[in-house]
Amino acid sequence: MDQKKEYRIKLVSKEFLINDTCYLGFECPEIARVSRPGQFVNISAGTVFLKRPFGIASVDKDNGIFYIGVKVVGKGTSEISEFELGSMVDCLGPLGNGFDFEGYENIILTGGGTGVFPINFAYETLTAAGKNVTVCEGFRNAEQVILNKEGYILTTDSGDMGIKGTVIAGLDAIYISEPSKTLICCVGPIPMMKAVSSWAADKGLKCLVSMEQRMGCGVGICLCCTVKVKDEGPDGFKNVRCCKEGPVFDSKEVVW
Amino acid sequence: MSTSLNVNVGSVNLKSPLILASGTCNFGRELAEYYDLNILGGISSKGLTIKPRAGNPGVRVAECASGMLNSVGLQNPGVDYFIENDLDFMKDSGASVIVNVAGHSYEDYIAMVNKLDQYSDKIDALEINLSCPNVKEGCMTIGSDPVAIMFITSELRKLTKLPLWIKLTPNVTDIKATALAAQEGGADAVVLINTLMGMRIDIRTRRPVLTNNTGGYSGPAVKPVAIRMVAECSPILDIPIVGCGGVADYKDVIEFMIAGASAVEVGTACLVHPALPVKITEDLEKYCADIKLNLKDLTGTLQRW
Repeated sequence: MDQKKEYRIKLVSKEFLINDTCYLGFECPEIARVSRPGQFVNISAGTVFLKRPFGIASVDKDNGIFYIGVKVVGKGTSEISEFELGSMVDCLGPLGNGFDFEGYENIILTGGGTGVFPINFAYETLTAAGKNVTVCEGFRNAEQVILNKEGYILTTDSGDMGIKGTVIAGLDAIYISEPSKTLICCVGPIPMMKAVSSWAADKGLKCLVSMEQRMGCGVGICLCCTVKVKDEGPDGFKNVRCCKEGPVFDSKEVVW
Repeated sequence: MSTSLNVNVGSVNLKSPLILASGTCNFGRELAEYYDLNILGGISSKGLTIKPRAGNPGVRVAECASGMLNSVGLQNPGVDYFIENDLDFMKDSGASVIVNVAGHSYEDYIAMVNKLDQYSDKIDALEINLSCPNVKEGCMTIGSDPVAIMFITSELRKLTKLPLWIKLTPNVTDIKATALAAQEGGADAVVLINTLMGMRIDIRTRRPVLTNNTGGYSGPAVKPVAIRMVAECSPILDIPIVGCGGVADYKDVIEFMIAGASAVEVGTACLVHPALPVKITEDLEKYCADIKLNLKDLTGTLQRW
């Protein structure tokens, strides 16, 4: 096994998509080469102590660059969003298990919030592999819409763009011809993933969700970012590490 | 590796003073993906209990000034699973094996030590955790009371010849009293310190950030507290001290040793930089070569004003 390492990497592109959310590109050929959709990186964030985890949004293997999306929610993400081009940051990655699309011809990608970033990476990877991909993304309103591509099904809570309602309203518009060959992957807030999970169960679809939890280390040593999954033991559940066993879980395994 | 880093904690010889602190390295497996654990003096296992523990629910970590709060709550697979699945891995790593023993009651600690004593060929020391702040019973409840510390230490002393290191809590008025109690109970060393109990509040919701309400504060911020406690205890103890708290570079290791530590644990900083012990080890070797000394000669060389 190759020894993993911490990289010191350079910020090479930065673009604000909306006022509180930016899209950053970092030069790191090693991470760009081996990352899979659903994996994340842990990035040092200015003056705060712990690194911050971000789902990988895209990779440019030719130029050795990977991209992440950062929504400003606190001090760490605020400082990262203020990095200037050429800034050097410490980075661990790629981390976590990522999505396993093996055995599925039709893949539905759905999500919202910062979940649209890993969905973007999954979309690019799957379309390049010639898979049949449908994307359904939900936002609060038109102003929040980011990374929207032609052909995506779009929903907004406000109804001022796309279908009015949650992503469930968008998913209901999809015709599923072969449930056994169709996989749905969801990245978004917990209530959305829970709703998508039960929608998928009703349709008889396998559903993968990318869980989010406050993280300490990102590499599986602190046991801070646990997710409750079903277990046959006396408690009926066990806590597993979001960063190591996840962040992607079969939605049927998660204790919601 | 240079012999200049060799240290002894009582009868335990370590090839380096650097030990991975319990609760920040699991059982070493994940960190072995980043570097060869054989450079370490030792690895202190995740705190183990007699039965598996799921740990605390909800949010378990909160960022703080120069450190973090955690309320993991001793999530661990239980001592039997550890013996079956992780002990050999730790032994084979080449680092000395320190097994961290936690419990809810005297009986738990006794059962744990009895069990682990049967594997004394694979274990270099038992670190008795009388200091975890994140569980309701045992640990810090026992470790705040000198009488209870002396009692449990002397009971465990009867059960094993393995070195007993008592890991103490800083959440007491007088660390000297609890350290002396461990010594009088027959401890081979004390480990100073576990985390400081703390709380953070979300001002928007007015709720604690941690679902457990409180947690243990660790990281560089707590180092001065740990150094002070090591320096306070060093002159009055006959047994060695293992320093622990906020170590982030080689100078921190040296500072702990001057204060009186024979070995030093590194923990929270590895959550940010997993391979940090490699850098610290290189820097310690260079330091020893530059000033031509063996690291163990530094212990307790504090020149007070």
